[in-house]
Amino acid sequence: MNQAEVSQLVSKLRIRINPRHKNLKCPEGPQGRLNKLRKTVNALFKYERLELNYTLADETRGYAERLISEAIRHGDTHKPTMEMADYWIEEKQLIHKLFKVLVPRFNDYQTSYTMLYRAPKAYPEIVYPRSVLELRGNPFPAILPQRSDQRNFIHNVLLDEAKKAYRAEKYEEITKSLEEQRDE
Amino acid sequence: MKRFSSCLYKKYSGSLCSIKYVSTSANIHPKTEIVAYQNNLFDNEQKRQREAVGRIEKITVKYIGVPENVTLSMNKGISTPFHCAQHISEMLVKRSGLALIDETHLWDMHRPLESDCELTFMHAQYLPDPYHFNRAYWRSCSLILGAVISKAFKTDIQPTLHSFPSPNVKSGSFVYDVELSNLPEWAPTENELRILSANMVKFAQKSYKFERLAVSEELALDIFQENKFKKEQVPNIAQQSIDKKVVLYRIDDHIEISRGPMIGNTDLLGRCSITAVHRLDTKNGHLYRFQGVSLPVNIMLNHFAYSLLEQRAKKLNAARWVDQAQNDTYVPQFSREETAV
Repeated sequence: MNQAEVSQLVSKLRIRINPRHKNLKCPEGPQGRLNKLRKTVNALFKYERLELNYTLADETRGYAERLISEAIRHGDTHKPTMEMADYWIEEKQLIHKLFKVLVPRFNDYQTSYTMLYRAPKAYPEIVYPRSVLELRGNPFPAILPQRSDQRNFIHNVLLDEAKKAYRAEKYEEITKSLEEQRDE
Repeated sequence: MKRFSSCLYKKYSGSLCSIKYVSTSANIHPKTEIVAYQNNLFDNEQKRQREAVGRIEKITVKYIGVPENVTLSMNKGISTPFHCAQHISEMLVKRSGLALIDETHLWDMHRPLESDCELTFMHAQYLPDPYHFNRAYWRSCSLILGAVISKAFKTDIQPTLHSFPSPNVKSGSFVYDVELSNLPEWAPTENELRILSANMVKFAQKSYKFERLAVSEELALDIFQENKFKKEQVPNIAQQSIDKKVVLYRIDDHIEISRGPMIGNTDLLGRCSITAVHRLDTKNGHLYRFQGVSLPVNIMLNHFAYSLLEQRAKKLNAARWVDQAQNDTYVPQFSREETAV
């Protein structure tokens, strides 16, 4: 087996990639598709959070993840990486942002670098599924509610107390059995 | 097809459970006349209080919160927080259970506002802490349980509602104490409990408002003349309140004494189960303590976690009962209005 290991050639992304790409509506053909994706990848690095149609967001996500992953892996002295960044990022100052801001931010991440949420549709105007695509660690307020705030919600209070009651019961059993052992 | 299945049920229901105490029919009202009399008194007093407002004055209500801060001009002694919510957003109307006035006083959704104020609404996911909503919710659950119990039994069993202790979410269950005549030894079956739970949910889904009314001691005694326990409690409660009034709540046609505050509408009650009925031996004879657990409508919980809560709610809730309540040491705090601070 003289096959090269794939992970040596290209880094494994931490998102799910579909076996087939999603079709985008592009009258200009394949080049139009690339232009569209370049535009959104560029905007993602610029604004860090975008609201898009789901198909476009999902396609963009893969390219953005790949770009960040390569940048972390090879750094800014690696020629192919720099060429790739140069192609995908239209506003050139954002290339500096990629290597000087995003690479240090995502260096120690064990998760994906982007998040994709499903967004509500504004019925009846918008018929396509909407979504929100964002870079992790962005400065905006979180989209999902913070779990730590929910400690005092009624079900959590009830569950906490049920846990305490259960533990108290168990401790009682243990002390009882210990006492029995001592008596013997 | 439907007829066939109902016949099946009729045929076998007799043999499956030997004696059924809990009525499955929704239309049995053993004490219809008394209920009508009570409601008549309540309606008249409510009408009298509304007419006593007299010339309409305007008050300024500042609402703080989502979707936007609003200043409203409302009617003094007529407009309620519920009306304010209707002016602002449907979302607030649906989810709010309790209003907070000037960040100190807890106010029922259907209690008229009395002066200029700042207003916020509390709901089950109110941040930073929904403690007060939870308490009001638990109290309201007890009240709904009382309403359900008073209608759930067959005509030969007369449930006499006693009272419910101060709500404590941490105890794991909400409670109602009831005396059941003709039923000295009753251990409800699983199915009977299930019927009670179903009745409670059905009742709640009819979206009854919690109507609040402060009445004089004489009127309260008149309303509860048929209930031997409430008759005893009323003078005590009136004595302890600041303005010598007794606060009554009404849902559908069920009237109850409680110092409140309650949630605004019964449709905030989501998942609910009556888990156990324990017999208590007290000075006044045997009382039955009905216990249940419930979650508000927009709180989602996994069925396994909920079953843990149900199991805990089966154990006897050791909140004070009658004998303790009549000791000198126990001072029920009916009088003071609950505040958030």
